[in-house]
Amino acid sequence: MTKKIGVYVCECGANIAEKVNIDKVIAAVSPIKDVTVVERHKLLCSEGGKEFLKQSIEENGLTHIVVGACSPKQHELTFMNVCEQAGLNPQLFQLANIREQCAWVTPDGEEATDKAIRQIRAAISRVPYHESLDKKEVKCSPDVLVIGGGIAGIKACQLLALPDRKVYLVEKTPSLGGKVKNFNKLFTNMESGVKLIAKEIQPLLENASVEVLTESEVKQILGFLGNFEVTVTKKAEDEELNFSVGAVVLATGFELFDPAGLPQYGYGKLDDVYTSLEFEEMNSPDGSTGGKILLKNGKAPESVAIIHCAGREEKGYCSKVCCLYSFKFDNMLKSQLPAAKISHFYSDLCIPGKTYQKFYEDTKGTGVEFVRAAKTEVTGSGKGMTVKYETQTGSKGDLTADMVILLPAMEPSSDAQKFAEMLNLARDKKGFFVEEHQLLSPVASAVEGIFVVGCARGPQSIAESIVQSEAAVGKILSALVPGKKLELEVRVSEISETLCTGCKTCIDVCPYSAITFDEARKISAVNEVLCHGCGNCAAACPSGAAKLKHFTFPQIYQELEQALR
Amino acid sequence: MNGESGTGKKGQNAAVLVIGGGIAGIEASLLLANSGRKVYLVEKASYIGGNVIKLEEVFPNMECATCMIAPKQQELLQNENIELLRLSQVEALSGSPWDFSVKIKRKASYVDSENCIGCSACFDPCPVEVDNEFEERLSKRKAIYIPCAGALPNVPVIDTDNCLRFKGKDCKVCQEACMFEAIDYTQQDEELEIKVGAIVVATGFESFDPSKITQYGYKKFDDVYSAMEVERICASNGPTQGQILLKNGQEPKSLAIIHCVGRAEKGYCSSVCCMASIKIAHFMKKKLPDIKITHFYSDLCIPGKTYQTFYEEVKESGVDFIQATVTEVSPSGKGLGIKYKTEDGKENTLAVDMVVLNPAIEPAADSPKLAEILNIPQDKNGFFNERDPDLSSVTTAKDGIFIAGCTQGPKDIAETVAEAEAAVGRILSLSR
Repeated sequence: MTKKIGVYVCECGANIAEKVNIDKVIAAVSPIKDVTVVERHKLLCSEGGKEFLKQSIEENGLTHIVVGACSPKQHELTFMNVCEQAGLNPQLFQLANIREQCAWVTPDGEEATDKAIRQIRAAISRVPYHESLDKKEVKCSPDVLVIGGGIAGIKACQLLALPDRKVYLVEKTPSLGGKVKNFNKLFTNMESGVKLIAKEIQPLLENASVEVLTESEVKQILGFLGNFEVTVTKKAEDEELNFSVGAVVLATGFELFDPAGLPQYGYGKLDDVYTSLEFEEMNSPDGSTGGKILLKNGKAPESVAIIHCAGREEKGYCSKVCCLYSFKFDNMLKSQLPAAKISHFYSDLCIPGKTYQKFYEDTKGTGVEFVRAAKTEVTGSGKGMTVKYETQTGSKGDLTADMVILLPAMEPSSDAQKFAEMLNLARDKKGFFVEEHQLLSPVASAVEGIFVVGCARGPQSIAESIVQSEAAVGKILSALVPGKKLELEVRVSEISETLCTGCKTCIDVCPYSAITFDEARKISAVNEVLCHGCGNCAAACPSGAAKLKHFTFPQIYQELEQALR
Repeated sequence: MNGESGTGKKGQNAAVLVIGGGIAGIEASLLLANSGRKVYLVEKASYIGGNVIKLEEVFPNMECATCMIAPKQQELLQNENIELLRLSQVEALSGSPWDFSVKIKRKASYVDSENCIGCSACFDPCPVEVDNEFEERLSKRKAIYIPCAGALPNVPVIDTDNCLRFKGKDCKVCQEACMFEAIDYTQQDEELEIKVGAIVVATGFESFDPSKITQYGYKKFDDVYSAMEVERICASNGPTQGQILLKNGQEPKSLAIIHCVGRAEKGYCSSVCCMASIKIAHFMKKKLPDIKITHFYSDLCIPGKTYQTFYEEVKESGVDFIQATVTEVSPSGKGLGIKYKTEDGKENTLAVDMVVLNPAIEPAADSPKLAEILNIPQDKNGFFNERDPDLSSVTTAKDGIFIAGCTQGPKDIAETVAEAEAAVGRILSLSR
């Protein structure tokens, strides 16, 4: 088929015309092979300009279009839409930015004109190599798999379960509620976690759109956004379930750093040194003491030391919620043992947000002591224990305590490793899942359709975990609308089966896990649903098998050659 | 204008009103629009991007903030489901949850956004020069202006308080300079009435005014700046194009950063200032490698998995952190003297060239008015109250009205974005 290229140069009022001699540009590009029409216009993005462009494309039966105008950020989409209206595939169009990259930044008129000619010439030389790329759609399932039955997972299910959307909640233990179900009190309102969980679970059990799978384990997840195939084993029944979902929410929660590795605190050696979770258990009505705060000898403690930041130095991060729940502990201690002497040993109080300082001040007001200490050590003595401390300026002191509560750092759940491997998710050095973008996409992972919420992402409060669940719900409900198909990016990569040598370089450089390896044929293949068209694979492929549509080597080399000629 | 598009359940309107065009409002609008909802985004300023676009870089990865959100802004401006109402404010609310009627007042911009191409030819001839509020009044702007290079939408507005024409003079130099007949002095303020099912309030934050604490010498002595002023001074599109200079034209050799300015007065920790302060130190060290930086703080609040690493990196680059209360900033020799008291009661003085005060975060000044219009409760500091603070930060006492970002309390960008997404999660789940 003969190519007929139309070239349109926009004056942009005086913005381009003032610096660029458009007559010279037209004279320079008109003789180029296949260029059929060259026109100038006062303002091509105006209604009149768009109509002019459309008519010109239709009347001249053009096959490829080049526009010299402003930044693609401004009007690439505008002109692509005009092409489409004129019956031309919008990918057969190229915009040369002769405003921001030329007229506005090149003081000398002659130099600007020369530059504009090069830019437009480069576009003309690339555009014949453009291919018509058609929009593709894939069907998708609106259903969702939520992994982890803690408060984050429960909340996600509540909002996701709708008449046209099924939710599977998979929990490895026999009951829902995660850590929160063992908390007798929650900060700041001192309500019961046990009751909260009972209240929150009820609507799930009554909702026909929710399938709760306790004592179950996710064995396998294959697929991509909109189309994941899931295998779950129900441990008790030794039964395997298979179903498909459109998205996955990981809410695998946290565990505590084991303070036995920190000999200075005597944990595991001295009788009455507890972790925060052990203290929670002691306060739970269903716990071993029936909710009573007791020492190993069966007596109530008269003095309690709360040591903050156990393991913070080893882990290298602040666990964010320990200061806050330590005030909750004060409240629990004071309500059971009003006469108990409570001392906190801390380095920095981390009480961010609008309400927590008041919580701290209220707690301090009940007669709780706060000692700023750079170092703390717990030693055993005949009666009770001694907490030796050293301040930042080096002065030393000590205090006796019957009971010591350590606030250990929060770590990701031990399951995180398994899911990271299963889903090809990145984790940071500390084992927490990494966000798609730490600031702009906090609950999405780099793998589209997989969301991470709550403490699996990093230490969070209950309220923060819930917000993140709601956020994942927002993302999922926005992306997976029942009955609607997913529209795919058209400028994606493809890998030539004949050229691929199976070296897997592309798989290593793909940030979206969009490339899979066909073990039988020993070649890589791109999943168009997941590919964002970043071009990493095309750049890295040593055998030239990977190619990014619309940014192929012939297109780029032609463009460069003419720009630099 | 009406809000009938979208697929609402009977008696429910699927359209959503988002109040505030900062990072939270942008995120909420995009998610809602992409799900097929009609969105009205009301922004009182002439631009979208809120406070984030004032920042040169954002912690902890030191990304360029404007570059980071420009694609989102662009996507928002091109999304056909989103109607951006800039220079607009909510005036009245009626109706019931999921079926609200909202009155909005839109100020005239006097620039036709269809014809304007954003070439800025109208600025030069304007004879008026006033302080640029966007630049923390560190530079001047014209009466027809955009707040800074790169602001979106890139369509100027006429500030009628200062424009000569609107003060009765026969000036039309901007109209004459415009090549596209985009300037229209006959435009009128408009009152619009829209129908929506739900509302997201995302009106963001302002900074506590450090001049309320007189002992820090803010606005009294040269070279004492607020954190936001320093953000603009460091910004490559700011008043000094990123050049950090003292009033005497020389580069500062030493800098003190004072944390928690206004914390005692406000009664809460603003959550992000430690990290923002550490970021300023990081940035200054990069630009002026020999500068000596000292932080004065009470408690370092660097929560979460990545912030401590950032703090340690900055500390190791030679930045000092002193746990102390600053009692006074005063002129000393050629520079400034910081009087401080450490926890063991010892008093000391440090001489520096420049001081940065990091003030508390406050809700937007007009939030009491909005609280009254929407009839949703606030705390004594003006932050909107959530229905159940320990369980969800985005629901308010009123069905159908949600809050996201610093309008609810001080927080970082990631938390703000998560809340915006959470409000959308609630809306899409509850109304169909």
